[in-house]
Amino acid sequence: MKRKVAIIGGGQTRHAARRHDVNQVELVNEAVRAALADAKMTIDEIDAVLLGNMEFFEGCHMTDCWLADGIGAYGKPGLKITTGGTVGATIVCAGAHHVASGLFDKVLCIGFEKQEEGDTGAILSGVAHPLFGRSMAGAAVGYFAMMGSSYMAAWGAKEEHSAMVAVKARQNARKNRYAHLKLDIGIQDVLNSRMLAYPIRMLDMCPASNGACAMILSDEKTARDRCARPVWIRAMDTAHNEQFEISWRDVLDRRPKFSTTCASRIYRKLGVADPAAYFDVFEVYEPATWAELQWYEDLGLCAPGQGFRLVEEGKTGIDGPMPVNPSGGVLSTNCIGASAMLRVWEAALQIRGDAGGHQVPKEVRRALTTGYGGTNWTVMTALSRDPED
Amino acid sequence: MSDRVAIVGIAQTAFSPKRAEANYAELAYEVIERVLKDTGLDMARDIDNSISCSHDIWDGQTISDIGITDVIGGHLRNEEKMAMDGSTAVYYGAIGILSGEFRCTLLLAHTKMSQTNRNIVNNDAFDPIYTRLLGFDYTSAAALQARRYMHAYGITEEHTAAVVRKNLGNAVDNPRAHNRGRLSMDEILRSPFVSDPIRSMDVAPDTDGAVAVVLASGERAADITDTPVWIRGMGTCYDAHYLGDRDLAGCMALERAAARAYGMAGITDPRREIDVVELGEEFSYQELLWTEGLGICGRGEGGKLVASGVTGRNGELPVNPSGGLLSGVPANVMGLNRVAEAALQVMGKAGGCQVPGVKCAVAQGHSGFCGQHHCVVVLGADGRRSR
Amino acid sequence: MSHESAEQELIRIPITVDVPYRFAAGNYMSRFLIELRDNGKFFGIRCPSCGRVQLPPRIVCAPCHVRNEEWVELGLEGTLTAFTVMYLPLTDPTTGEPHEPPFTYGSVRLDGADSNLDHIVHLGDEYDSAWVGMRVRVVLRPREERIGDLSDIIHFEPLKGQEKPGK
Repeated sequence: MKRKVAIIGGGQTRHAARRHDVNQVELVNEAVRAALADAKMTIDEIDAVLLGNMEFFEGCHMTDCWLADGIGAYGKPGLKITTGGTVGATIVCAGAHHVASGLFDKVLCIGFEKQEEGDTGAILSGVAHPLFGRSMAGAAVGYFAMMGSSYMAAWGAKEEHSAMVAVKARQNARKNRYAHLKLDIGIQDVLNSRMLAYPIRMLDMCPASNGACAMILSDEKTARDRCARPVWIRAMDTAHNEQFEISWRDVLDRRPKFSTTCASRIYRKLGVADPAAYFDVFEVYEPATWAELQWYEDLGLCAPGQGFRLVEEGKTGIDGPMPVNPSGGVLSTNCIGASAMLRVWEAALQIRGDAGGHQVPKEVRRALTTGYGGTNWTVMTALSRDPED
Repeated sequence: MSDRVAIVGIAQTAFSPKRAEANYAELAYEVIERVLKDTGLDMARDIDNSISCSHDIWDGQTISDIGITDVIGGHLRNEEKMAMDGSTAVYYGAIGILSGEFRCTLLLAHTKMSQTNRNIVNNDAFDPIYTRLLGFDYTSAAALQARRYMHAYGITEEHTAAVVRKNLGNAVDNPRAHNRGRLSMDEILRSPFVSDPIRSMDVAPDTDGAVAVVLASGERAADITDTPVWIRGMGTCYDAHYLGDRDLAGCMALERAAARAYGMAGITDPRREIDVVELGEEFSYQELLWTEGLGICGRGEGGKLVASGVTGRNGELPVNPSGGLLSGVPANVMGLNRVAEAALQVMGKAGGCQVPGVKCAVAQGHSGFCGQHHCVVVLGADGRRSR
Repeated sequence: MSHESAEQELIRIPITVDVPYRFAAGNYMSRFLIELRDNGKFFGIRCPSCGRVQLPPRIVCAPCHVRNEEWVELGLEGTLTAFTVMYLPLTDPTTGEPHEPPFTYGSVRLDGADSNLDHIVHLGDEYDSAWVGMRVRVVLRPREERIGDLSDIIHFEPLKGQEKPGK
């Protein structure tokens, strides 16, 4: 990129099942104010406002137009992107492009979802083609359930391994004051929870959360002048995937896929040979437990089929050698339009040393984040404490 | 790394009231295949990323770009979607190239208005707490703005009818247009009211279609085409949301977007320095109001301007020589079509709609009812920018 | 800013967004659905570059960026590559109503295809007896009831004489 881009501030709402006390405008405004406070800036100093959201979820067409007043877009340049689950990270990339272009110095990026104001299941089923698959109404839970049945059949993993991921996530979330599902659960609690779609149980699946996240990106000079601990965006990459071929469900499918393709491209950009050694913390987008195991493999943290061993051995725990989702991840908080951005923001907090109770207990120089959405889409970002590292 | 961005390829479908035989992916592929063929570019080798413009609610598809990922070259590659007017895709695509991340970008906008109901879709753009339940759509909201604007400045229905007459007449020479003809003022003023003061002929008609545009960095552009059209300046801006919070007789967001675009392009006297304008008149009164916002004339002078003939195809500063949106351009595709038509003027490839000697063209599009968000793009035969 | 009362009423406004659509199947899917309706046959399309047989047929092979041309008739039997038993009454967005749980649905690779087709797997009372690798056959509605839609498929049913591989 032509100019270096830093994250100089951010904020998020306390994510929750119910936010009857705010309308959508007020919800995003909370995150925007938190980000401005964190960056010690006023909205007048912001040069552009970028919003990401899934427009069908709240049944609102042109969401950014309604929210314009609450996001500070009045009188300012800006735009809206709507790529689904990945959008939170896409907006971060858009913000980075804006700053790197030289036309904007300080850009506000926002992602949000007020999940309770819509029928999430019905709209997720609308991801499928109207004439080929939509009436199955499987939604996300059906999709990840199929991934689970395929994973267990292929590698001999058990439902207990899924439960281990679920427990790790919610116990981490208990340390994260913003997380939605802070649950003091054990393996048996997960295995006793209600079956939604075999083998996915209630506790194996992400919640539907109401929440927002906002981040402020800037150029190097502003970062040096205004921010004590800027976090640098070192690389970004995006890989989408055609509809109808949603290969993540069938774990033995050997065709090139979105996750491995994107990871190898971002690793090539940075010269990463061993991601587990290069990155100190990972925030991945895991709508269900099985997805997290698959991410371990697709990111190259272990060999194919070995993901479940990593969690079994505690390697990806908050105090492990390769901590994954110390924030509690999407399994603990899923406000879809914000979720991919929360991965980036949480990774930035780790690098800043500001994650509070869920700060990983080791030095964090570099982090990798992934998004997930669409029909197997991802956006990955690599962040660092150092602009050259 | 580049400081300049050019439009190096354009393809548009014929715009028709209904393309029942094609789903929107097939419609999109018509123009994608054609623009790649015309430019000699290969998707895998030459196109670094794709940006599309569509809306879930128009397409009836959650994450509407799922429907076109394959045709737009998004598989395992970088693809994004903006759910805004197509002009904003040009702005965003250019930013990506100026950032240094990409050198060649494919833009696409598509909509099949015929597959759904415009009034219901539009109504959904109103907030669910106060205004949606009043049953607004874009036309009824525009009627409020038109009435306010006409009242403030004495704009008359003859002025708005003159826009219809001019644009539909211009469209006769546009082979892609479906709404065209040489109409009399009388015919236009006798068309029935849809939402007073807006008559049926004042409204851009339902249309199906798609437009694809290829952008390239300064270094790449010369390899691809002999007629690069340079983006000399661009700007976007949001206004307040609620109609009651805006000055409906003005367009603050357009003025600011234009100011940013002109500032980048080094334009200080739009009336003299711009050779042609392709703007987004979803309703006829908007052509008058947007010419004011673009600084082609003063506040309140839009009516006088069209009456003077200055904006006719043979006038000093033609506006919408293509026939504009009134000739039939789909929602959301609108602004990308405006940019395409403006670029064709600069290339000298606007056929029967060509204005002679175009060096500098301005395109404008808007998103949200009554133009809450505007995007202005200044195009030129040479790439000079002032900043 | 303090609130006057902890008991303040918070208004929530129920709205149903109901948007009508008439989707064009397009050239490729129309032919697929017509073959299904009129002849009870499944057709995929083969990419001239990589050779993969795509279902449903579509205009472009996404990885190769080339037009698909060659129509390939597929078998009516296939293999279950993934499945689940749905216990949630999720709303079917095409009808606004849920399917009745529990039901099994899966992803089937029809013989000859490189893509999967999702549909209900009919297992009667033994709705949790499916396994990855199970061989299944498509069961279609009779010709006079078929309309050119995936609902022309009633469900998949397992081929007889198979046993779930040992645990």
